[in-house]
Amino acid sequence: MTKAGIGGSFRDPSGTVFESDGVLYREVAHSYRPHYDALLSNGLYESLTASGLLVPHEEVDPDIAGGANVYRVIRPERIPFISYPYEWCFGALKDAALAMLRIQSIAMEHGISLKDASAFNIQFRDGKPLLIDTLSFEIYEEGTPWAAYRQFCQHFVAPLALMSNVDVRLGLLSKLYIDGIPLELASALLPGRSRFSIGTKLHIHSHAKSSQKHAGARVSVRDMKGRFSSRAFRGFIESLTSTVKSYQWQPSGTTWADYYSEADHYSREALEQKRRVVAAHLDELNPSLVLDLGANTGIFSRLAAERGALTVSLDLDPAAVELSYREMVSKDEANLLPLVFDLTNPSPPIGWSNAERDTLDRRGVADVGIALALIHHLAIGNNVPFALLAAYFRKLCKNLIIEFVPKDDSKVQVLLASREDVFADYDEKFFESGFENYFEIRQRTELAGTGRSVYLMRAP
Amino acid sequence: MKTRFGFICWALYLAVLMSMLWVPAANAYLDPGSGSVIFQVVVGGALALSVGLKIFWHRIVRFFSRKDDH
Repeated sequence: MTKAGIGGSFRDPSGTVFESDGVLYREVAHSYRPHYDALLSNGLYESLTASGLLVPHEEVDPDIAGGANVYRVIRPERIPFISYPYEWCFGALKDAALAMLRIQSIAMEHGISLKDASAFNIQFRDGKPLLIDTLSFEIYEEGTPWAAYRQFCQHFVAPLALMSNVDVRLGLLSKLYIDGIPLELASALLPGRSRFSIGTKLHIHSHAKSSQKHAGARVSVRDMKGRFSSRAFRGFIESLTSTVKSYQWQPSGTTWADYYSEADHYSREALEQKRRVVAAHLDELNPSLVLDLGANTGIFSRLAAERGALTVSLDLDPAAVELSYREMVSKDEANLLPLVFDLTNPSPPIGWSNAERDTLDRRGVADVGIALALIHHLAIGNNVPFALLAAYFRKLCKNLIIEFVPKDDSKVQVLLASREDVFADYDEKFFESGFENYFEIRQRTELAGTGRSVYLMRAP
Repeated sequence: MKTRFGFICWALYLAVLMSMLWVPAANAYLDPGSGSVIFQVVVGGALALSVGLKIFWHRIVRFFSRKDDH
Protein backbone atom coordinates (compact mmCIF):
# COMPACT_ATOMS: atom_id res chain seq x y z
CA MET A 1 0.00 0.00 0.00
CA THR A 2 1.37 3.42 -0.91
CA LYS A 3 0.41 6.43 1.16
CA ALA A 4 0.67 9.92 -0.32
CA GLY A 5 -0.07 13.20 1.50
CA ILE A 6 -2.52 15.54 -0.18
CA GLY A 7 -2.01 19.22 -0.98
CA GLY A 8 -2.17 21.73 1.83
CA SER A 9 -3.46 19.33 4.50
CA PHE A 10 -0.02 19.28 6.20
CA ARG A 11 -1.00 22.56 7.86
CA ASP A 12 -3.54 20.96 10.17
CA PRO A 13 -2.07 19.16 13.21
CA SER A 14 -5.51 17.63 13.83
CA GLY A 15 -4.92 15.19 10.99
CA THR A 16 -3.54 15.10 7.47
CA VAL A 17 -5.28 13.91 4.33
CA PHE A 18 -3.68 11.10 2.37
CA GLU A 19 -4.43 8.93 -0.61
CA SER A 20 -3.89 5.23 -0.70
CA ASP A 21 -4.63 3.01 -3.69
CA GLY A 22 -6.73 5.79 -5.19
CA VAL A 23 -8.87 6.22 -2.07
CA LEU A 24 -8.89 9.42 -0.01
CA TYR A 25 -8.45 9.11 3.78
CA ARG A 26 -7.92 11.45 6.67
CA GLU A 27 -6.15 10.82 9.93
CA VAL A 28 -7.65 12.10 13.15
CA ALA A 29 -4.85 12.76 15.65
CA HIS A 30 -5.20 11.80 19.32
CA SER A 31 -4.85 15.48 20.24
CA TYR A 32 -8.05 16.20 18.29
CA ARG A 33 -10.01 13.36 19.92
CA PRO A 34 -12.31 15.43 22.21
CA HIS A 35 -13.37 17.69 19.35
CA TYR A 36 -13.93 14.82 16.91
CA ASP A 37 -15.95 12.88 19.49
CA ALA A 38 -18.04 15.96 20.27
CA LEU A 39 -18.80 16.54 16.58
CA LEU A 40 -19.89 12.94 16.12
CA SER A 41 -21.79 12.48 19.38
CA ASN A 42 -23.79 15.66 19.90
CA GLY A 43 -25.83 15.63 16.71
CA LEU A 44 -23.88 18.28 14.80
CA TYR A 45 -22.38 15.84 12.29
CA GLU A 46 -25.84 14.39 11.52
CA SER A 47 -27.39 17.82 11.26
CA LEU A 48 -24.75 19.22 8.89
CA THR A 49 -24.45 16.15 6.66
CA ALA A 50 -28.24 15.82 6.43
CA SER A 51 -28.51 19.42 5.26
CA GLY A 52 -25.71 18.92 2.73
CA LEU A 53 -23.36 21.37 4.46
CA LEU A 54 -20.65 18.92 5.52
CA VAL A 55 -19.03 16.11 3.59
CA PRO A 56 -20.08 12.72 5.04
CA HIS A 57 -17.45 10.14 5.95
CA GLU A 58 -17.00 6.58 7.13
CA GLU A 59 -14.60 5.42 9.79
CA VAL A 60 -12.12 2.76 8.66
CA ASP A 61 -9.41 0.69 10.33
CA PRO A 62 -6.89 3.20 11.86
CA ASP A 63 -4.03 0.83 11.01
CA ILE A 64 -4.28 2.00 7.41
CA ALA A 65 -2.54 5.23 8.47
CA GLY A 66 0.15 3.34 10.37
CA GLY A 67 1.00 5.98 12.97
CA ALA A 68 1.08 5.96 16.79
CA ASN A 69 -0.59 9.35 16.98
CA VAL A 70 -3.66 8.26 15.03
CA TYR A 71 -6.95 8.11 16.92
CA ARG A 72 -9.23 7.44 13.95
CA VAL A 73 -9.00 7.23 10.17
CA ILE A 74 -11.95 8.47 8.16
CA ARG A 75 -12.82 8.00 4.50
CA PRO A 76 -14.67 11.14 3.37
CA GLU A 77 -16.95 11.03 0.36
CA ARG A 78 -14.79 12.13 -2.54
CA ILE A 79 -15.68 15.42 -4.23
CA PRO A 80 -15.65 14.59 -7.93
CA PHE A 81 -13.88 17.77 -9.05
CA ILE A 82 -11.96 20.22 -6.87
CA SER A 83 -12.24 23.94 -7.62
CA TYR A 84 -10.64 26.94 -5.97
CA PRO A 85 -12.08 30.26 -4.73
CA TYR A 86 -10.23 32.26 -7.39
CA GLU A 87 -12.08 30.20 -10.00
CA TRP A 88 -15.53 30.85 -8.55
CA CYS A 89 -17.77 33.56 -9.90
CA PHE A 90 -19.15 36.25 -7.60
CA GLY A 91 -22.36 34.36 -6.82
CA ALA A 92 -20.51 31.14 -6.02
CA LEU A 93 -18.14 32.90 -3.60
CA LYS A 94 -21.09 34.61 -1.95
CA ASP A 95 -22.98 31.31 -1.57
CA ALA A 96 -19.83 29.69 -0.16
CA ALA A 97 -19.51 32.51 2.39
CA LEU A 98 -23.13 32.18 3.48
CA ALA A 99 -22.75 28.39 3.77
CA MET A 100 -19.73 28.87 6.06
CA LEU A 101 -21.69 31.29 8.28
CA ARG A 102 -24.65 28.93 8.40
CA ILE A 103 -22.37 26.08 9.44
CA GLN A 104 -20.94 28.29 12.20
CA SER A 105 -24.45 29.20 13.41
CA ILE A 106 -25.58 25.57 13.51
CA ALA A 107 -22.33 24.53 15.20
CA MET A 108 -22.83 27.15 17.94
CA GLU A 109 -26.21 25.62 18.76
CA HIS A 110 -24.25 22.44 19.56
CA GLY A 111 -21.57 24.15 21.61
CA ILE A 112 -19.04 23.85 18.80
CA SER A 113 -17.29 26.47 16.69
CA LEU A 114 -15.26 26.58 13.48
CA LYS A 115 -11.55 27.07 14.10
CA ASP A 116 -10.88 27.63 10.38
CA ALA A 117 -12.90 29.50 7.80
CA SER A 118 -10.68 29.00 4.76
CA ALA A 119 -12.56 29.28 1.48
CA PHE A 120 -10.48 26.31 0.25
CA ASN A 121 -12.40 24.20 2.78
CA ILE A 122 -15.55 24.74 0.75
CA GLN A 123 -16.23 22.77 -2.41
CA PHE A 124 -19.21 22.53 -4.73
CA ARG A 125 -21.07 19.23 -4.92
CA ASP A 126 -24.29 18.89 -6.93
CA GLY A 127 -24.17 22.64 -7.51
CA LYS A 128 -24.14 23.51 -3.81
CA PRO A 129 -21.37 24.57 -1.42
CA LEU A 130 -20.31 22.22 1.37
CA LEU A 131 -17.53 22.04 3.93
CA ILE A 132 -14.97 19.34 3.17
CA ASP A 133 -12.81 19.82 6.26
CA THR A 134 -14.30 17.53 8.90
CA LEU A 135 -11.63 18.58 11.39
CA SER A 136 -12.46 22.31 11.24
CA PHE A 137 -14.55 22.10 14.38
CA GLU A 138 -13.58 22.59 18.00
CA ILE A 139 -15.47 22.57 21.27
CA TYR A 140 -16.42 26.18 21.91
CA GLU A 141 -14.93 27.71 25.03
CA GLU A 142 -17.67 29.88 26.47
CA GLY A 143 -16.86 33.58 26.43
CA THR A 144 -14.15 33.52 23.74
CA PRO A 145 -14.19 35.38 20.39
CA TRP A 146 -14.38 33.59 17.03
CA ALA A 147 -10.97 32.09 16.21
CA ALA A 148 -11.72 32.06 12.47
CA TYR A 149 -12.98 35.66 12.22
CA ARG A 150 -9.92 37.13 10.51
CA GLN A 151 -9.67 34.21 8.09
CA PHE A 152 -13.34 34.54 7.18
CA CYS A 153 -12.90 38.26 6.48
CA GLN A 154 -9.78 37.67 4.35
CA HIS A 155 -11.18 34.72 2.42
CA PHE A 156 -14.73 35.94 1.87
CA VAL A 157 -15.60 39.48 2.98
CA ALA A 158 -12.58 41.17 1.37
CA PRO A 159 -12.88 39.59 -2.11
CA LEU A 160 -16.67 40.02 -2.16
CA ALA A 161 -16.37 43.68 -1.13
CA LEU A 162 -13.75 44.31 -3.83
CA MET A 163 -15.68 42.43 -6.52
CA SER A 164 -18.87 44.27 -5.64
CA ASN A 165 -17.45 47.77 -5.00
CA VAL A 166 -14.46 48.02 -7.34
CA ASP A 167 -14.17 45.38 -10.08
CA VAL A 168 -15.36 41.80 -10.23
CA ARG A 169 -11.94 40.71 -11.54
CA LEU A 170 -10.40 41.53 -8.16
CA GLY A 171 -11.62 38.12 -7.01
CA LEU A 172 -8.48 36.87 -8.73
CA LEU A 173 -6.41 38.45 -5.94
CA SER A 174 -7.17 35.29 -3.94
CA LYS A 175 -4.77 33.52 -6.30
CA LEU A 176 -1.92 35.73 -5.07
CA TYR A 177 -2.79 35.45 -1.38
CA ILE A 178 -3.40 31.84 -0.41
CA ASP A 179 -4.59 32.80 3.08
CA GLY A 180 -6.99 35.40 1.81
CA ILE A 181 -6.65 39.03 0.77
CA PRO A 182 -4.84 41.05 3.48
CA LEU A 183 -7.39 43.35 5.06
CA GLU A 184 -5.20 46.44 4.89
CA LEU A 185 -4.80 45.83 1.14
CA ALA A 186 -8.56 45.44 0.70
CA SER A 187 -9.11 48.57 2.80
CA ALA A 188 -6.69 50.56 0.61
CA LEU A 189 -8.28 49.35 -2.63
CA LEU A 190 -11.90 49.97 -1.61
CA PRO A 191 -13.46 53.34 -2.49
CA GLY A 192 -14.08 55.92 0.26
CA ARG A 193 -17.85 55.44 -0.01
CA SER A 194 -17.47 51.85 1.24
CA ARG A 195 -16.82 53.34 4.70
CA PHE A 196 -20.47 54.35 4.82
CA SER A 197 -21.52 50.71 4.66
CA ILE A 198 -21.63 49.53 8.29
CA GLY A 199 -20.47 45.99 7.50
CA THR A 200 -17.60 46.95 5.20
CA LYS A 201 -16.45 49.67 7.57
CA LEU A 202 -16.52 47.26 10.49
CA HIS A 203 -15.21 44.00 9.05
CA ILE A 204 -12.64 45.45 6.66
CA HIS A 205 -11.61 49.04 7.36
CA SER A 206 -11.77 49.09 11.18
CA HIS A 207 -10.71 45.45 11.40
CA ALA A 208 -7.64 46.17 9.24
CA LYS A 209 -6.77 49.18 11.36
CA SER A 210 -7.07 47.17 14.57
CA SER A 211 -4.96 44.33 13.11
CA GLN A 212 -2.17 46.76 12.26
CA LYS A 213 -2.43 48.53 15.59
CA HIS A 214 -2.25 45.36 17.69
CA ALA A 215 0.01 43.28 15.49
CA GLY A 216 2.51 42.71 18.31
CA ALA A 217 -0.01 42.18 21.10
CA ARG A 218 0.29 38.36 21.23
CA VAL A 219 -3.27 37.84 22.33
CA SER A 220 -5.12 34.60 21.65
CA VAL A 221 -8.85 33.96 21.82
CA ARG A 222 -8.32 32.14 25.15
CA ASP A 223 -6.75 35.24 26.68
CA MET A 224 -10.06 36.96 26.11
CA LYS A 225 -12.13 34.28 27.82
CA GLY A 226 -15.09 35.76 29.62
CA ARG A 227 -14.89 39.03 27.74
CA PHE A 228 -17.02 38.02 24.77
CA SER A 229 -20.66 37.13 25.37
CA SER A 230 -22.63 34.60 23.35
CA ARG A 231 -24.81 37.50 22.25
CA ALA A 232 -21.71 39.29 20.92
CA PHE A 233 -20.81 36.14 19.01
CA ARG A 234 -24.29 36.01 17.55
CA GLY A 235 -24.00 39.71 16.73
CA PHE A 236 -20.81 39.07 14.76
CA ILE A 237 -22.27 36.19 12.76
CA GLU A 238 -25.47 38.16 12.03
CA SER A 239 -23.46 41.22 11.03
CA LEU A 240 -21.20 39.14 8.75
CA THR A 241 -24.25 37.48 7.19
CA SER A 242 -25.98 40.78 6.43
CA THR A 243 -22.70 42.25 5.14
CA VAL A 244 -22.15 39.33 2.75
CA LYS A 245 -25.78 39.50 1.63
CA SER A 246 -25.46 43.24 0.98
CA TYR A 247 -22.77 42.72 -1.68
CA GLN A 248 -24.28 42.68 -5.16
CA TRP A 249 -22.94 42.41 -8.66
CA GLN A 250 -24.95 42.30 -11.88
CA PRO A 251 -23.43 40.47 -14.86
CA SER A 252 -24.16 42.22 -18.14
CA GLY A 253 -22.68 44.13 -21.01
CA THR A 254 -19.46 42.17 -21.42
CA THR A 255 -18.57 40.81 -24.85
CA TRP A 256 -19.09 37.23 -23.85
CA ALA A 257 -22.14 37.39 -21.60
CA ASP A 258 -24.16 38.54 -24.63
CA TYR A 259 -22.40 36.24 -27.13
CA TYR A 260 -25.19 33.88 -28.04
CA SER A 261 -28.02 36.37 -27.55
CA GLU A 262 -26.36 38.65 -30.11
CA ALA A 263 -24.97 35.90 -32.33
CA ASP A 264 -24.73 36.95 -35.97
CA HIS A 265 -22.28 34.28 -37.03
CA TYR A 266 -24.69 31.39 -36.77
CA SER A 267 -28.02 30.84 -38.37
CA ARG A 268 -30.56 29.19 -36.12
CA GLU A 269 -30.24 26.06 -38.27
CA ALA A 270 -26.43 25.94 -37.92
CA LEU A 271 -26.63 26.38 -34.16
CA GLU A 272 -29.25 23.65 -33.98
CA GLN A 273 -27.09 21.37 -36.15
CA LYS A 274 -24.08 22.02 -33.91
CA ARG A 275 -26.17 21.12 -30.89
CA ARG A 276 -27.30 17.87 -32.55
CA VAL A 277 -23.75 16.92 -33.54
CA VAL A 278 -22.33 17.57 -30.05
CA ALA A 279 -25.24 15.71 -28.43
CA ALA A 280 -24.71 12.69 -30.71
CA HIS A 281 -20.99 12.58 -29.87
CA LEU A 282 -21.77 12.80 -26.15
CA ASP A 283 -24.32 10.00 -26.46
CA GLU A 284 -21.71 7.85 -28.15
CA LEU A 285 -18.95 8.57 -25.65
CA ASN A 286 -21.15 8.44 -22.52
CA PRO A 287 -18.65 10.39 -20.37
CA SER A 288 -18.57 10.72 -16.58
CA LEU A 289 -16.46 13.89 -16.53
CA VAL A 290 -16.60 16.61 -19.17
CA LEU A 291 -14.54 19.79 -19.45
CA ASP A 292 -16.18 22.48 -21.53
CA LEU A 293 -13.36 24.82 -22.54
CA GLY A 294 -14.54 28.34 -23.35
CA ALA A 295 -18.06 27.42 -22.31
CA ASN A 296 -19.55 30.94 -22.30
CA THR A 297 -22.90 30.72 -20.45
CA GLY A 298 -22.83 26.93 -20.64
CA ILE A 299 -25.30 26.18 -23.44
CA PHE A 300 -23.28 23.17 -24.62
CA SER A 301 -22.10 22.26 -21.11
CA ARG A 302 -25.72 21.60 -20.31
CA LEU A 303 -25.98 19.02 -23.10
CA ALA A 304 -23.35 17.02 -21.22
CA ALA A 305 -24.74 17.74 -17.74
CA GLU A 306 -28.24 16.66 -18.82
CA ARG A 307 -26.73 13.31 -19.85
CA GLY A 308 -25.45 12.74 -16.33
CA ALA A 309 -21.81 13.79 -16.78
CA LEU A 310 -20.25 16.08 -14.21
CA THR A 311 -19.49 19.03 -16.47
CA VAL A 312 -16.86 21.58 -15.53
CA SER A 313 -17.79 24.63 -17.53
CA LEU A 314 -14.82 26.98 -17.95
CA ASP A 315 -14.83 30.50 -19.30
CA LEU A 316 -12.63 33.54 -18.75
CA ASP A 317 -15.54 35.98 -18.65
CA PRO A 318 -16.88 36.46 -15.08
CA ALA A 319 -20.22 37.72 -16.40
CA ALA A 320 -20.82 34.67 -18.61
CA VAL A 321 -19.87 32.34 -15.74
CA GLU A 322 -22.10 34.27 -13.33
CA LEU A 323 -25.08 33.92 -15.70
CA SER A 324 -24.38 30.20 -16.01
CA TYR A 325 -24.06 29.84 -12.21
CA ARG A 326 -27.33 31.68 -11.59
CA GLU A 327 -29.13 29.48 -14.11
CA MET A 328 -27.67 26.42 -12.41
CA VAL A 329 -28.92 27.60 -9.01
CA SER A 330 -32.38 28.62 -10.24
CA LYS A 331 -32.92 25.33 -12.11
CA ASP A 332 -31.25 23.26 -9.40
CA GLU A 333 -28.90 21.67 -11.94
CA ALA A 334 -26.74 19.10 -10.19
CA ASN A 335 -24.03 18.15 -12.67
CA LEU A 336 -22.60 21.53 -13.51
CA LEU A 337 -19.58 23.38 -12.15
CA PRO A 338 -19.17 26.79 -13.86
CA LEU A 339 -15.72 28.28 -13.22
CA VAL A 340 -13.89 31.45 -14.22
CA PHE A 341 -10.81 30.16 -16.01
CA ASP A 342 -8.39 31.71 -18.48
CA LEU A 343 -6.99 28.98 -20.73
CA THR A 344 -4.20 31.28 -21.90
CA ASN A 345 -3.05 31.60 -18.29
CA PRO A 346 -4.43 28.59 -16.38
CA SER A 347 -4.58 28.34 -12.56
CA PRO A 348 -1.01 27.66 -11.42
CA PRO A 349 0.07 25.22 -8.70
CA ILE A 350 0.33 27.49 -5.66
CA GLY A 351 1.21 27.34 -1.98
CA TRP A 352 4.11 25.67 -0.25
CA SER A 353 6.45 23.96 -2.71
CA ASN A 354 3.88 24.72 -5.44
CA ALA A 355 1.96 21.71 -4.20
CA GLU A 356 -0.98 22.96 -2.12
CA ARG A 357 -3.34 23.77 -5.01
CA ASP A 358 -3.28 21.81 -8.23
CA THR A 359 -3.33 22.73 -11.88
CA LEU A 360 -6.45 21.82 -13.83
CA ASP A 361 -5.02 18.68 -15.46
CA ARG A 362 -3.89 17.31 -12.08
CA ARG A 363 -7.43 17.57 -10.70
CA GLY A 364 -8.75 14.96 -13.09
CA VAL A 365 -8.47 14.09 -16.77
CA ALA A 366 -11.86 14.48 -18.43
CA ASP A 367 -13.43 11.73 -20.50
CA VAL A 368 -14.45 14.40 -22.97
CA GLY A 369 -13.22 17.92 -23.63
CA ILE A 370 -15.46 20.29 -25.55
CA ALA A 371 -13.83 23.22 -27.36
CA LEU A 372 -16.41 25.03 -29.47
CA ALA A 373 -15.80 28.41 -31.11
CA LEU A 374 -12.55 28.58 -29.17
CA ILE A 375 -9.66 27.58 -31.41
CA HIS A 376 -9.33 30.95 -33.20
CA HIS A 377 -9.09 32.83 -29.89
CA LEU A 378 -6.18 30.68 -28.79
CA ALA A 379 -4.43 30.22 -32.16
CA ILE A 380 -4.87 33.77 -33.48
CA GLY A 381 -5.83 35.81 -30.40
CA ASN A 382 -3.03 34.29 -28.32
CA ASN A 383 -0.62 33.06 -31.04
CA VAL A 384 -0.59 29.43 -29.80
CA PRO A 385 0.39 26.96 -32.54
CA PHE A 386 -2.04 24.09 -33.20
CA ALA A 387 0.44 21.47 -31.95
CA LEU A 388 0.79 23.21 -28.58
CA LEU A 389 -2.98 23.55 -28.29
CA ALA A 390 -3.38 19.85 -29.00
CA ALA A 391 -0.66 18.99 -26.46
CA TYR A 392 -2.44 20.92 -23.67
CA PHE A 393 -5.87 19.58 -24.61
CA ARG A 394 -4.42 16.07 -24.51
CA LYS A 395 -3.36 16.69 -20.90
CA LEU A 396 -6.94 17.73 -20.08
CA CYS A 397 -9.04 15.08 -21.82
CA LYS A 398 -9.15 11.68 -23.50
CA ASN A 399 -11.69 12.57 -26.18
CA LEU A 400 -12.18 15.94 -27.80
CA ILE A 401 -15.13 17.56 -29.52
CA ILE A 402 -13.60 20.58 -31.19
CA GLU A 403 -14.85 23.14 -33.68
CA PHE A 404 -12.58 24.51 -36.38
CA VAL A 405 -13.31 28.12 -37.33
CA PRO A 406 -11.84 29.13 -40.74
CA LYS A 407 -9.94 32.34 -41.37
CA ASP A 408 -12.69 33.93 -43.46
CA ASP A 409 -15.20 33.56 -40.58
CA SER A 410 -16.57 36.91 -39.38
CA LYS A 411 -15.31 36.27 -35.82
CA VAL A 412 -11.76 35.51 -37.03
CA GLN A 413 -11.83 38.65 -39.17
CA VAL A 414 -12.65 40.66 -36.04
CA LEU A 415 -9.57 39.19 -34.35
CA LEU A 416 -7.41 40.00 -37.40
CA ALA A 417 -8.75 43.54 -37.81
CA SER A 418 -6.36 45.01 -35.27
CA ARG A 419 -3.25 42.95 -36.03
CA GLU A 420 -1.05 41.86 -38.84
CA ASP A 421 -2.02 38.53 -40.33
CA VAL A 422 1.05 36.46 -39.53
CA PHE A 423 -1.00 33.29 -39.38
CA ALA A 424 -0.22 31.70 -42.73
CA ASP A 425 -0.50 28.28 -41.10
CA TYR A 426 -4.01 28.91 -39.85
CA ASP A 427 -6.08 26.60 -42.01
CA GLU A 428 -7.92 23.34 -41.60
CA LYS A 429 -5.10 21.21 -43.06
CA PHE A 430 -2.56 22.50 -40.52
CA PHE A 431 -5.18 22.24 -37.79
CA GLU A 432 -5.68 18.54 -38.56
CA SER A 433 -1.97 17.77 -38.79
CA GLY A 434 -1.25 19.66 -35.55
CA PHE A 435 -3.89 17.71 -33.66
CA GLU A 436 -3.08 14.36 -35.25
CA ASN A 437 0.15 14.22 -33.20
CA TYR A 438 -1.96 13.86 -30.07
CA PHE A 439 -5.40 12.68 -31.17
CA GLU A 440 -6.89 10.37 -33.74
CA ILE A 441 -9.51 12.18 -35.82
CA ARG A 442 -12.62 9.99 -35.83
CA GLN A 443 -15.24 12.18 -37.42
CA ARG A 444 -15.61 15.57 -39.09
CA THR A 445 -18.98 17.27 -39.59
CA GLU A 446 -19.38 20.49 -41.55
CA LEU A 447 -21.79 23.01 -40.06
CA ALA A 448 -23.98 23.99 -43.00
CA GLY A 449 -23.55 27.55 -44.25
CA THR A 450 -20.85 28.52 -41.75
CA GLY A 451 -17.59 27.14 -43.15
CA ARG A 452 -16.98 25.73 -39.67
CA SER A 453 -16.53 22.03 -38.81
CA VAL A 454 -16.96 19.99 -35.66
CA TYR A 455 -14.39 17.24 -35.09
CA LEU A 456 -14.56 14.23 -32.85
CA MET A 457 -11.07 13.15 -31.77
CA ARG A 458 -9.78 10.39 -29.52
CA ALA A 459 -6.47 10.04 -27.74
CA PRO A 460 -4.66 6.93 -29.03
CA MET B 1 -40.26 50.87 12.12
CA LYS B 2 -37.41 49.61 9.99
CA THR B 3 -36.13 53.18 9.68
CA ARG B 4 -36.05 53.61 13.44
CA PHE B 5 -34.21 50.37 13.84
CA GLY B 6 -31.80 51.53 11.15
CA PHE B 7 -31.26 54.73 13.15
CA ILE B 8 -30.43 52.70 16.25
CA CYS B 9 -27.94 50.66 14.19
CA TRP B 10 -26.32 53.87 12.94
CA ALA B 11 -26.08 55.25 16.47
CA LEU B 12 -24.45 52.01 17.61
CA TYR B 13 -22.14 52.11 14.62
CA LEU B 14 -20.99 55.61 15.54
CA ALA B 15 -20.50 54.48 19.13
CA VAL B 16 -18.30 51.64 17.88
CA LEU B 17 -16.27 54.06 15.77
CA MET B 18 -15.82 56.36 18.74
CA SER B 19 -14.76 53.44 20.93
CA MET B 20 -12.06 52.57 18.37
CA LEU B 21 -10.42 55.91 19.07
CA TRP B 22 -9.57 54.82 22.60
CA VAL B 23 -8.03 51.47 21.71
CA PRO B 24 -4.44 51.61 22.96
CA ALA B 25 -1.74 50.99 20.36
CA ALA B 26 0.80 48.19 20.75
CA ASN B 27 4.19 47.82 19.13
CA ALA B 28 3.44 46.52 15.67
CA TYR B 29 4.99 43.23 14.62
CA LEU B 30 3.83 40.51 12.28
CA ASP B 31 0.87 38.97 14.05
CA PRO B 32 -2.40 40.08 12.55
CA GLY B 33 -4.34 37.48 14.59
CA SER B 34 -4.09 39.41 17.86
CA GLY B 35 -5.62 42.53 16.34
CA SER B 36 -8.63 40.50 15.18
CA VAL B 37 -9.15 39.03 18.65
CA ILE B 38 -8.92 42.43 20.37
CA PHE B 39 -11.13 43.96 17.70
CA GLN B 40 -13.85 41.39 18.35
CA VAL B 41 -13.83 42.12 22.07
CA VAL B 42 -13.89 45.90 21.51
CA VAL B 43 -16.77 45.75 19.03
CA GLY B 44 -18.50 42.76 20.62
CA GLY B 45 -20.32 44.83 23.24
CA ALA B 46 -21.97 47.04 20.63
CA LEU B 47 -22.94 44.08 18.43
CA ALA B 48 -24.33 42.25 21.47
CA LEU B 49 -26.37 45.33 22.25
CA SER B 50 -27.67 45.43 18.67
CA VAL B 51 -28.76 41.79 18.95
CA GLY B 52 -30.47 42.58 22.26
CA LEU B 53 -32.24 45.60 20.78
CA LYS B 54 -33.28 43.58 17.76
CA ILE B 55 -34.85 40.93 19.99
CA PHE B 56 -36.54 43.66 22.05
CA TRP B 57 -37.74 45.43 18.89
CA HIS B 58 -39.21 42.25 17.44
CA ARG B 59 -41.07 41.67 20.71
CA ILE B 60 -42.58 45.17 20.53
CA VAL B 61 -43.53 44.69 16.88
CA ARG B 62 -45.10 41.33 17.70
CA PHE B 63 -46.97 42.83 20.66
CA PHE B 64 -48.52 45.60 18.55
CA SER B 65 -49.21 43.41 15.54
CA ARG B 66 -51.13 41.05 17.86
CA LYS B 67 -53.14 44.00 19.15
CA ASP B 68 -53.87 45.03 15.57
CA ASP B 69 -55.25 41.57 14.85
CA HIS B 70 -58.04 41.99 17.43
